Amino acid sequence: MPRAGKDARVPDKIGGFVRKLAVDVVVVGGGSTGAGVVRDVAMRGYSTVLLDRADLGQGTTARFHGLLHSGGRYVVSDPLSATECADENAILTRIQASAIERTGGYFVTAPGDDPAFADKFLAGAAATRVPAREISVGEALKAEPRLNPGILRAIEVQDGSVDGWQLVWGAARSAINHGAQILTYHKVTKIERDANRVTGVRCVDLKTGEEVQIDCGFVLNCAGPWAGQIAAMADCEPVDVIPGRGIMIAMNHRLVNRVINRCIYPADGDILVPVHTVSIIGTTDVKVEDPDNLAIPHEEVQEMLDAGEILIPGFRQARAVHAWAGARPLIKDSRVAAADTRHMSRGMAVIDHTTRDGLDGLLTIGGGKLTTYRLMAEHIVDAMCTKLGEKRACHTADEVIPGSESGKTYVVTHRLEAREHDRTEDQIICECELMSRKMFTDALAEQPRGSFDDLRRQLRLGMGPCQGGFCSLRATALALEADHIDVERASGLMKLFLKNRWIGLWPILYGDQVRQTALDNWIFQGTLDVEHLPQPEQEVEL
Amino acid sequence: MSRVVVIGAGIAGLTAAIRLARAGLAVTLVSKGVGGLQLSQGTVDVFGYDPVRVTHPLEALDVRAAADPKHPYASIGREAVESGVAYLADLVGPDLLVGDPAANLNLPTAVGAVRPTCLAQPSMLAGACVDGASFVIVGLRRLKDFPAHLIAANLARTVLPDGGRLQARHLVIDVPARDGEIDSSGLTYARAFDDPGFRKRFAAALLPLLTHGDSVGLPAVLGLHDLQAWRKLSDALGHPVFEIPLPPPAVPGLRLNETLLTAARTAGVRLVQGNRVVSARVTEGRVAAVTVAQAGAAREYPAEAFVLASGGFESGALAMDSYGTLTETIFGLPLAGQDAGELVHGDYWGAQQPLFAVGVGVEASMRPVDAAGAPVYPNLYAAGGILAGAYRWSEKSGEGIAVGSAVKAADAIVRELA
Amino acid sequence: MTSDGLEFAGHQFARASLDHCVKCTICETACPVAAVTPLFTGPKFVGPQAERFRNGESVDHSLDYCSSCGTCTLVCPQGVQIAELNSQARAVMKSDHMPVRDQLISRTTLMGMAMTPVAPLANAALHVKPIRTVVEKVFGIHRDAPMPTARTQTLHGWLKKRPAPKKAPTRGTVVFFHGCAGGYFEVETSKKSIEVLEHLGYRVIVPKQGCCGLAQQSNGLFDAATASVLQLCDDLRSAGKGLTIVSSSGSCTGMLKHEAHEIMGVTDDRLKDVAVRIRDMMEFLRDLHEAGELPTDFRPIEMTVPYHAPCQLKSQGMGQPAVEVLRLIPGLTVVESGATCCGIAGTYGLKKEKYEIAQAVGKPLFDMVKATNPDLALCDTETCRWQIAQSSGVPTEHPIWMIHRAYGLS
Repeated sequence: MPRAGKDARVPDKIGGFVRKLAVDVVVVGGGSTGAGVVRDVAMRGYSTVLLDRADLGQGTTARFHGLLHSGGRYVVSDPLSATECADENAILTRIQASAIERTGGYFVTAPGDDPAFADKFLAGAAATRVPAREISVGEALKAEPRLNPGILRAIEVQDGSVDGWQLVWGAARSAINHGAQILTYHKVTKIERDANRVTGVRCVDLKTGEEVQIDCGFVLNCAGPWAGQIAAMADCEPVDVIPGRGIMIAMNHRLVNRVINRCIYPADGDILVPVHTVSIIGTTDVKVEDPDNLAIPHEEVQEMLDAGEILIPGFRQARAVHAWAGARPLIKDSRVAAADTRHMSRGMAVIDHTTRDGLDGLLTIGGGKLTTYRLMAEHIVDAMCTKLGEKRACHTADEVIPGSESGKTYVVTHRLEAREHDRTEDQIICECELMSRKMFTDALAEQPRGSFDDLRRQLRLGMGPCQGGFCSLRATALALEADHIDVERASGLMKLFLKNRWIGLWPILYGDQVRQTALDNWIFQGTLDVEHLPQPEQEVEL
Repeated sequence: MSRVVVIGAGIAGLTAAIRLARAGLAVTLVSKGVGGLQLSQGTVDVFGYDPVRVTHPLEALDVRAAADPKHPYASIGREAVESGVAYLADLVGPDLLVGDPAANLNLPTAVGAVRPTCLAQPSMLAGACVDGASFVIVGLRRLKDFPAHLIAANLARTVLPDGGRLQARHLVIDVPARDGEIDSSGLTYARAFDDPGFRKRFAAALLPLLTHGDSVGLPAVLGLHDLQAWRKLSDALGHPVFEIPLPPPAVPGLRLNETLLTAARTAGVRLVQGNRVVSARVTEGRVAAVTVAQAGAAREYPAEAFVLASGGFESGALAMDSYGTLTETIFGLPLAGQDAGELVHGDYWGAQQPLFAVGVGVEASMRPVDAAGAPVYPNLYAAGGILAGAYRWSEKSGEGIAVGSAVKAADAIVRELA
Repeated sequence: MTSDGLEFAGHQFARASLDHCVKCTICETACPVAAVTPLFTGPKFVGPQAERFRNGESVDHSLDYCSSCGTCTLVCPQGVQIAELNSQARAVMKSDHMPVRDQLISRTTLMGMAMTPVAPLANAALHVKPIRTVVEKVFGIHRDAPMPTARTQTLHGWLKKRPAPKKAPTRGTVVFFHGCAGGYFEVETSKKSIEVLEHLGYRVIVPKQGCCGLAQQSNGLFDAATASVLQLCDDLRSAGKGLTIVSSSGSCTGMLKHEAHEIMGVTDDRLKDVAVRIRDMMEFLRDLHEAGELPTDFRPIEMTVPYHAPCQLKSQGMGQPAVEVLRLIPGLTVVESGATCCGIAGTYGLKKEKYEIAQAVGKPLFDMVKATNPDLALCDTETCRWQIAQSSGVPTEHPIWMIHRAYGLS
């Protein structure tokens, strides 16, 4: 089969072979589960292709708070998960260091919380092998001076933060090195079957409109909250997916440098995570119908701000820069009962369509946690091997992922240090996030058809306080200069980028962000008159 | 002691302060920092879209004022706008602002849109987008905020307001503004263009790339202090040259700002910069003084009349907190425009956000009014971005509202204190 | 290094103000250092932008090119404490490798005390090229940088020896704060200030007083600076409760009014007490005038004189009191420099690697001064006067000298 390298995403180079493909395994869904699975499948020697209707990590995976669990969150409520998290935390920090920051974390008893829970926590941590140590309130406040001085107890754990996009792209690049193909913006339209056996997947390349036919022997449905829709394409009995929507708010800078958790039974708004330059508060949990239509309701924003105020007094005066909602991929299916759940990861559900629908060659996976994505993939691929009657060992915990060879974990000073060294040779395009021109043009060369949001996810373009106010014009200029697109698309991409930034802006439009939005409007509408560029026949959507 | 205190150093505050001082009143202008004028495109907008493109701004604002009593132009009126625009043009002189207040110009922007404005800097005029024009847009490799390719390509695909077309191509040259720098700001280039030696080097690099009939579009960085720098460059090239304004730091805005600041100093305005006005003292229904959060101890500035020219949401003069409560941050004035339903909605390219039309309502002499239409304080006046009722950035009316209201407020104060 | 000052620097007050930044570039356009060298990334970059990437660490060493003149904070319309952020980041950066030079030039009082008894010798040494070359090599102080001239008599020496004031006090008592320079180098400015205050009818108390710690603060020595400023507060408070404190040292006044609090996070009540009571000399006279209590029986002085408002004074946000008071003198035409900064910024322009930048920053001012009056310029702060005098060759005085003359006291 054709090896898929970077150029798998260049239309003129892949057009010839994408039209008809044949692989052993098709993985549907480019979130952390799918990326982990395709890497594992490829590493076990199967030919494989991953399909996603959008970009990698565009769905649930990166719409989270960025927490790399120490396991602390589950020491009381779910001891097995706690141990899994602690083990996987250590493995990921080893194999995917560049995506991870070892921030450390605290579980704090806020005023009004039951101080006795901390005792249960410490006992649970000891029982589950999750490293935890109670420290004095004074020590916690010295290290995190913005923390509520009224906290009653503090327990130190090994929480970290993780960049979901780096994580997924790292896994995908590793998979590519093992021969996998990654096809983003490929929407699955049909899972083909020959009587009781899966034979292939049909999809459409959304950027070109081209139909693609992929013959395969096995499909792993890792589509998360969309898994029900995918299973339906194989004419299976309806899979009952109940997406659980949670909102997150990114604050303009690191109000804390460690993950701060409430030391209570897991609840809404009890985590504040420093990720890159921002700190993220999360989250809520509300059952919704449609994972493609996730609201960021006013009441939930208020709930998060109130929760933030408990951890960090003055939280409401701090600047929020962006909000988003993600959907947890919960499957509530009465027939979920994989033969041997002992080997399954906690919180994960596998639907075996052989027993359920009489269809061989399809497994649907729901649930799961980002921290344990590698372990989940291992279990899923084990399950597939078992069904195929083969024994191929998993090595995903042993091999370091491309980009993390140095073993150095991320530190927030990285880009500042890098720009200190190259700023006289290169321009800074996104000043808020210190993204250089070369970073942008390199990413663009890798994804010439990418939207600015696709590039943003890897570069943090426009993710700082000005939310694209100063950088999107520069990005547009560079995209046009790179000669992959015409002026209509370039102008359209700029408008699309601003529109998408706005989706996460309006729910938190208060305080300092109102000033920023007003200035951005003065620039784009006032000075540039962007809204009076020639109207395209159709607005750019991808 | 000053007789009038003006709060805010943007175009409205500066214009009001100068007009008051020239009328013989002792004026103190207090501001937190530098005003927003230098962030602007450096032209004078009066009325550009309503929502279709406006050709005759004074006539159009009359029509709009009649139809929309909540629009600032309804209280300011055409006469004050005309008078304000003429006053400003006279203040800064023809080296900085030219044009006919009765007719809009159509000038290219830094994305290649064709933007209406009323008065422009003379360095911009050769960029008038009219049928048959032939532009070459010249980018500078080290200046990242001027996308020459995008500008030229967008202009070339545009049907112009006069129904015609223009030709536009682009090129990019690399003439460093100073050694050891690849990421130069527009201001660094503007300082370089003040230098005849740099202009000579620049012209020598550009001239061989031009062809007969080209009008040369450049980023608006052609000189900061030397207001003839663009003309000298044009002479050296033997081609018409025009400036296209950039996002901040915006050199044309800087030129206007510096010129007005000098005029204010010359007129004897006492400028107090660096601290926010935090509150007001009211005695017997009148504003007696405003308090400035000065280093060390707060300081009161008493006066007989006050002009609130503190700007809009961009400057923090108007604010919305995390609960959605809106305030005018100095006097706590009643705010108009809050009854527009949902103030913030999720549609970026659709309707404007009603939030940004919230502000202070005023009566005919620019005194803020309460819900019943009565002046809140007999000696408090408002001008510029604080006024309710307009989406300035989309209708292109910012400077017209600012100078119209500034002149009207100043004249009312002069009458009152005479 | 884990001092309270530095911990504060890591994460407080000023850091919170970065939330107000809308990236508008106004600070960049006003920065006098970025205007003359690409070595400095500019206030927006090193301030609110870089701060988001710091985690108690300063990896961007180019931030040391910031002169701490404070112009960025002054011009920011949004209230971002840009200069303060930079000063704090620098303090964190330097905490483990402070050059000897920065420690030396920060100890203002010590330098003055050491030099006074041997003034002629010290002066000779400071103005002899080969010696300055050695000083440059060893300590990194540029050989052409302005250095104070040591006096044979300190202010307190003069106070002890002078006859009692002729006029009996009619207006009550003020405390005079002279600052280190005013005690040892700029003794004449202190004398004239005291004489003007006494002429106006005040009883003037000059308590024994140490250094405000400003030079230590601007070189990142927060612990030492905090100790200094609090000791000084004790000194000044010892003169009496609730008395107005008047100072002819503009920069030290700024340290007491706001910088010790805003940059180093000093929240001590003693500092607050001094901060609300202290007035710059010219501010004090301006306030008297505003209240209608300043005698304006000035002798005419037919002269055109350039006046430069120092950054330290501008950042106190009180307008330009010196200009307002000087303009009351008949015949005197005061021309404002319009320049942002003279370049010296305390001790910045002394340093070998910053000297050329500081000279370039000050050039428009030096040219303006020379063109306006080659014989005299006015400026409120000591190091700025030394810089202007050294680089333009124009003798430069504190504005109080002109007031002193106009009242017929000299």
